[in-house]
Amino acid sequence: MWRATLFAAALANPALANSPFPVDLGGPYALTTQHGETRTHKDPNGHAQLVFFGYANCLNICSAALPLMAQVTDALAEDGHGVTPVLITIDPIQDTVETMDAPLAALHPDFIGLTGDEQDLAQAYDAFNVEFEKLFQDPEYGWIYSHTGFIHLMDAEGELLTLFPPILSAEQMTGIVRKYVNGSS
Amino acid sequence: MRAFIAAALLLAPMSVHAADGTRVQVKGEIIDTWCYYSGVMGGPDAVVGSAHHTCALWCSAGGIPVGLLAEDGTVYMVLKVGADDASAGGDTALKLAAHTVEADGMLYERDGLNYLIVSEVTTDSDIVNRTHEDYGTIPAFAFPDPNK
Repeated sequence: MWRATLFAAALANPALANSPFPVDLGGPYALTTQHGETRTHKDPNGHAQLVFFGYANCLNICSAALPLMAQVTDALAEDGHGVTPVLITIDPIQDTVETMDAPLAALHPDFIGLTGDEQDLAQAYDAFNVEFEKLFQDPEYGWIYSHTGFIHLMDAEGELLTLFPPILSAEQMTGIVRKYVNGSS
Repeated sequence: MRAFIAAALLLAPMSVHAADGTRVQVKGEIIDTWCYYSGVMGGPDAVVGSAHHTCALWCSAGGIPVGLLAEDGTVYMVLKVGADDASAGGDTALKLAAHTVEADGMLYERDGLNYLIVSEVTTDSDIVNRTHEDYGTIPAFAFPDPNK
């Protein structure tokens, strides 16, 4: 059934015509930053966005993906390109306005953490086809999750440009992002 | 004219779209892409097959996307496998860790990377790459010593 749906969607859905993959990733959301401000899928400064779903104290894939996003942000800033790294939490109980700031600031001063209520976060998860599940509860770090690990490159309007597996080197990912931000500037 | 070509080249990454996919059949091993590329657990020959099966399960459960290492050395980043939406950690990805498979799917080449959406695993040969005979367990701590 999935296969039939996928191929049919890729061939027939005009909404996917400009998507780099046969899935429609991205869409409107409105969440709350670690600074208590509302932020939508659009970047207020007109920057491209690196969007990842995880949680601030994740010891698994986030510990690879989030520093990588920070390194790419720094490398592009040297070229004069503004890129905003964004973490959308999958654990709003642990990731609150009060708790997200310190771990994200340690990664990069421009890192944006987004949290919200169940309904608002569900809208973002649905937009990106995000799935996750609780694995177990660590006595020190709280709930440990299994979750998707791709980094999404979005333009300033929140449209998908491409995906990155979090196993790329910072240099390789920077080179790819640079092509897109050069092309869209 | 030169300016036009330069502009076209700059805009090329923006012009890709879903119709660019190619249907492919690939035979290879489902691998843990993090350990394969990072080298943190050893060389590429050590972090595949039976030696690395346990670690591959942990990495997949932790969110590392699985890959398909084809016989010619090409690595395909797997976005989905069959009906399982998860590229990592899902039941299908965990079941297939370190297995040699034949897969039918759609290939999307983006930015020098190969993304594969597997529509069907046509053959699952289980773990046939018996790297534990040369390397033991990689990493050794992936399989706790029951005597400790």
